[in-house]
Amino acid sequence: MFTKKRIIQFAVIAILFSLAVFWIYNQLVTSFTEYVDERNFSEIELFARTAPEDLDEDSANRWLSSVSEMIPGARSAYLTYDEELWDFAPMAGSEALLSLYESNKDTDAFRKAMDSCYYLEPMLMQQLYPIDFSAEPDDVVSGVSDSQLYFIPVADESGAFVIGTIIIAVPEAAVTGFENLLRVLLLGFALIFLIISAILLFTRDPMTGFLVLALFVIVGLFVAFPIFEAIRLSFIQEGRFSFATWKRCLSPTYLQALWGSLKLGVLTATCSTIVGFLFAFLIERTAFKQKKLMTTLATMPVISPPFSLSLSIILLFGNNGLISKQLLHLDASIYGLGGLVLVETIGMFPIAFMTLSGVLKQIDSTVEDAALDLSATRWQTFRTVTFPLAIPGVLSAWLLVFTNSLADFANPLLLAGDYRVLSTEAYMLVTGRNDLGAGSALSFLLLLPTLTAFLAQRFWVSRKSYVTVTGKPSTTLTDLTNKPVRITLSAIAWAIMAFILMLYLTIIAGCFVRNWGIDYSFTLDNWGEALSRGWTSIRDTVTLAAIATPIAGLLAMVAAMLIVRKKFPGKRLLEVLIMTPYAIPGTLIGISYILAFNKPPILLVGTGAIIVINYVIRELPVGVENGIAALHQIDPSIEEAASDLGADVNTVFRTIVLPLVRPAFISSMSYTFVRSMTAVSAIIFLISARWNHLTVLIFNFSENLRFGLASVLSTVLIVIVLAVFFLMNAIVRDDKLTEKTISSR
Amino acid sequence: MEKKSVSVTLEHVTKRFKNVKGKADVIAVNDSDFVIEPGELVTLLGPSGCGKTTTLRMIAGFELPTEGRILIGDQDVTMLPPNKRDTATMFQSYGLFPHMTVFDNVAYGLKLRKVPKEEIKTRVEEMLELLGLKDMGDRAPSKLSGGQQQRVALARSLIVAPSVLLLDEPLSNLDALLREQMRVEIKKVQRALGITAVYVTHDRTEAMSLSDRVVVMKDGVIRQIGSPSEIYEAPESRFVAGFVGKAAFFNTEVKGHDGIHYQCALGNKMVDVTHAAKDVTTGEAVIMARPESLRILGKGEGKIDGRVKLNVYLGASIESFVDTPFGEVLVEIDDPYAKKIYKEGEEVSIDFAPDRVRLLPKDEY
Repeated sequence: MFTKKRIIQFAVIAILFSLAVFWIYNQLVTSFTEYVDERNFSEIELFARTAPEDLDEDSANRWLSSVSEMIPGARSAYLTYDEELWDFAPMAGSEALLSLYESNKDTDAFRKAMDSCYYLEPMLMQQLYPIDFSAEPDDVVSGVSDSQLYFIPVADESGAFVIGTIIIAVPEAAVTGFENLLRVLLLGFALIFLIISAILLFTRDPMTGFLVLALFVIVGLFVAFPIFEAIRLSFIQEGRFSFATWKRCLSPTYLQALWGSLKLGVLTATCSTIVGFLFAFLIERTAFKQKKLMTTLATMPVISPPFSLSLSIILLFGNNGLISKQLLHLDASIYGLGGLVLVETIGMFPIAFMTLSGVLKQIDSTVEDAALDLSATRWQTFRTVTFPLAIPGVLSAWLLVFTNSLADFANPLLLAGDYRVLSTEAYMLVTGRNDLGAGSALSFLLLLPTLTAFLAQRFWVSRKSYVTVTGKPSTTLTDLTNKPVRITLSAIAWAIMAFILMLYLTIIAGCFVRNWGIDYSFTLDNWGEALSRGWTSIRDTVTLAAIATPIAGLLAMVAAMLIVRKKFPGKRLLEVLIMTPYAIPGTLIGISYILAFNKPPILLVGTGAIIVINYVIRELPVGVENGIAALHQIDPSIEEAASDLGADVNTVFRTIVLPLVRPAFISSMSYTFVRSMTAVSAIIFLISARWNHLTVLIFNFSENLRFGLASVLSTVLIVIVLAVFFLMNAIVRDDKLTEKTISSR
Repeated sequence: MEKKSVSVTLEHVTKRFKNVKGKADVIAVNDSDFVIEPGELVTLLGPSGCGKTTTLRMIAGFELPTEGRILIGDQDVTMLPPNKRDTATMFQSYGLFPHMTVFDNVAYGLKLRKVPKEEIKTRVEEMLELLGLKDMGDRAPSKLSGGQQQRVALARSLIVAPSVLLLDEPLSNLDALLREQMRVEIKKVQRALGITAVYVTHDRTEAMSLSDRVVVMKDGVIRQIGSPSEIYEAPESRFVAGFVGKAAFFNTEVKGHDGIHYQCALGNKMVDVTHAAKDVTTGEAVIMARPESLRILGKGEGKIDGRVKLNVYLGASIESFVDTPFGEVLVEIDDPYAKKIYKEGEEVSIDFAPDRVRLLPKDEY
């Protein structure tokens, strides 16, 4: 690869290119300097004509202050012409400039300049003069800087006689600002060119090289850079390095919020795992009826917007709730830890359910039969065989829910009341006090337990699986023979299902009620108002999600192909960077995006692009995992055959890989769409007047007690999401060709 | 389809695989250096893990040699990616595109070469007919039998008229009967088109019956290159002798050479041997004998005494296992009807002619 010939070629290209860049730079700088001189001259001359009548020191000072607006960093002084002395005398303006005049006025250059002004000819000094600006610093210069001096005469009303002169000093630094920019641009350009030519020369397969480079740029820019910025800015207070932000975040108030988050996480994870296990056990291991309904109800919370459950809990059990107030006349409040655990359990037990049914499905029922055969009772079998086998799954489910609960943002925002959790505290700091540094520090505090749980799940628990030992599992479903057990378990399951169903029906009911809690009369008014006020949000949300969906899907499949099939340096790093957004709370992503992209060179805050990028980056990990799993099923010789027949990487991807991973491709797209439509935690920081998000609007309506409007928009959102979800599923299911055995091994 | 045949040259090709977690690197191919002549079919033969598939994958471009050069014709292709090489590979698992019909599978290479639609249609149909796949164009590959899938893969490789055809154990997934049929078919097509071909297998019968020359490999090293008869009749080492056919080995000591024969001490007898491997000098060595080169005589009449342990009747021949001081020796008795057959348990003696056995170096391999 690194043959002598190629290295020489590369060196020659590099040298030629550097020379060319250097030449361009010189040309540009020279012509730019000329241009600046000319422009300054004409602007200053124009300025000189705006001299106020009856100049005294005050009015002159006021007048001169506008010079620095015209030319950033410039200082000016006014000399008045004394007809008695036939000479100019200092009157107003920059002290530094005036003292320079005093010390130099007898030099030939200054004499000439003053003479020239006397004859109403403006003049630019040939040489630069060092001026000490340390007494009057500004953004551009604060110390000694070589400056150009302009002498511009001011004429009287007739325009024939001089009445004074303005001296304007333009520090070099003001000019070099542009030169620096030019230098950075050219250097960046040169770097990109050299990397590209290096890839072309030194890799066998430039296309792969470019794809890898592109992925690195994307994750570097939109994952690594924002997080780096967030870390950096949490250590900066008033422009200096300091621990002040962190000290504040580790104060008792916020530690209490951290404790609150942890307590909520533990409770939610435990409840969700129990409910999830019950559901998974009934569906996978018993002959329980109504499995389809059960699965559907357990999937609903995953794809419905995060506020909807909180909303209906408030409608039912809130301060003016239907059940709490109207039916039971209770005074207990749902706001706080209890309500949060309830809502998060309903919202997150599906995660536990899906993890656990995957595990329970894999347990070979002959193992259970063997235990029963050795005369264990059903309960003993469960206690000594089934449950121990499922323990890795249980731990895994618990940790996943724990992570999700810590990162949850939407529910605490509506339901927390006085209870404090970190994610909403961070939000308050950012939106209420505009303290981004502290917000990001708080989110990092949250990242600690989240990341620990995530890594534990990933690298420890998921490896402790016993399941794969037995080969192909055969599952025969057994009836629960013990009647009281059967009745109790089904009763609990039915109660939970009824509760979930009730929550969703409440939202629908909420759409048609005039004023929930006060006036329960039927109305359609909510629809008109909600749709007219929410229309732009609906349109924006769908548009942005629809843009993000194919991008995320394609990017995920390309990344998966590179990771599974190609060898390249930095592969581990790329994988880690792609997976990172999965493990960190949305709040942190949102805050770090504002911190990183609210200033040049990448100014994105306020655009729709930042929302799309955020969707793509956050949903990429799941898509990549899907793609990797799908590619592992495909015999690599299929792709090799294509490449052998003359297809380049691009063509192999388009004609072979993409069609073969189509189910994974489509399902990760539908996942991206659903998650983008229902996103809150990161998006709430990134929306702007131009680009609003439906979920944020629902939140605003709920917060302002406009429950009717919130219900309507929630319903609309659920309908859109469900429609897309089922459409995508139908496409995958109809796909006869891809269902075939892909691997011929 | 007429194309000039080209040669394939490997110049000191070495492939090392980096081993993770601090283990030593694995040398898959060690300094391979040979030329495949234009139009020749060469087999890479060896046990699994000997580097034969890696060699093939380097010629195809799926792997990059760590050292050395690979040339196709006069062109150095060492750095070229697979899609830029004029090779076509048939994979062990066929690698058929499961989401395309048979027709689209075969047409894939032509489409990439921007051949006009009409021409693609006629050429694919011709090719399908040639390989007995007529009327199967619109089926999915998964609906075909193993042998048919095999032929689709062959059609797909051949249709782009490659200069070099690479076959990676293409018959290993077929049953015995089909394997024999396909073997003949591949050979016929290869001869007819005059394509230079490299064939990888661990099956010695396949290697013998197909190849113009065989390259025997072990542990990444080429042990011997020669025509099938050369490597069977005149192996240079015990490994090659044992890998390409059944053989008995008798430890011996070479006492001298009289210009025609080597004088060897075999037990307490002296025997003459005409042929010897290059590396054989006086001193310890082994005598290699194929089963069909040995004869069974009555006790004391031959060179090695023994006792018949088991006779296996095969119709055209009998395989007789004889216990001797050198271990169990297999003797193949052709035309058993015409010969005296010693019963199991009988004391016998094994004999051979000086020019039907071969002296090999002593070392195990």
